[in-house]
Amino acid sequence: MAIRDDFITQITTDISGYTNFRVSSELPFDSGGNSLYIKNKKTVYVNTVREEQIQLYRTMDQNSVYQTQSIVQAFLTVDAKNQPSNIDDVIQAILNAKNVVTSPQLTEALVDNDIEDDYITYTFEYTILQT
Amino acid sequence: MAEMNVTSANKAVLTIGDSAPNAVPGAAAGMVIPLVQDITVSAAPGTVRYSVLSSASSSAFTTVNENSISLNMLVDELFMFGDSTKSNQVHVDGLFKTSADKTEVFFSVSFNGAAGTTGEIYVSGKGFIGGLAPSAAVDAAVWLSPMEIIVNGELAKTET
Repeated sequence: MAIRDDFITQITTDISGYTNFRVSSELPFDSGGNSLYIKNKKTVYVNTVREEQIQLYRTMDQNSVYQTQSIVQAFLTVDAKNQPSNIDDVIQAILNAKNVVTSPQLTEALVDNDIEDDYITYTFEYTILQT
Repeated sequence: MAEMNVTSANKAVLTIGDSAPNAVPGAAAGMVIPLVQDITVSAAPGTVRYSVLSSASSSAFTTVNENSISLNMLVDELFMFGDSTKSNQVHVDGLFKTSADKTEVFFSVSFNGAAGTTGEIYVSGKGFIGGLAPSAAVDAAVWLSPMEIIVNGELAKTET
């Protein structure tokens, strides 16, 4: 949970200067089969951490060095036809929240979007690699 | 046919000692090199080729054998730089100092089976540690190093 909490705090700080945007720490962010980030536009929802252990090196004495890959996803939905004029800045600010993890092997952030009906949902994915 | 598999941790094991008894597989004071990624036992006879006018093919004769053990490993601190709690002087000094001091070491490479069991085959000899080149990279996560034992003399095969 610590990583998720760190991201919620960092995204809250990073978008504090943008009016009408906020971050929710609610879990689960689903109500009656509908995602709350679709219902509550301009609100960022952060999912729980998904972790994976990846074998980095294998040795002949059956020891291994593993790398832990942690993935955190965040979601933001806005009106597709009338997007906020500062949406690009907000997206950049949310991506920059990757810097909250200070001692990783590698941290990456990417954003994807999906348009459905009259709204657009941005899906942010932070990948943190640690040995 | 009896292939020699390396699917368990007690096969393809390099043991180094400050004396021949300490380098036998399973020796209590043996320095078993951990985290080995690959190991090569090279037993190469030297050859000289020559040609004669009466033959369309070259001929050859052998000279001395040039033997070596080479491997790649993840660097373990206590093995690379020494462990003062050990009785084996090579382990006390570590691979790095032993190489720098050009100290002769004894070694064995176990081919199959657990140490000390009947039917185990290992090759042994003595030589000098060289080829250490620890390297680190931002994507590598841990230190890696090649190593070579330049064999002084002949490799001997032993079957227990």
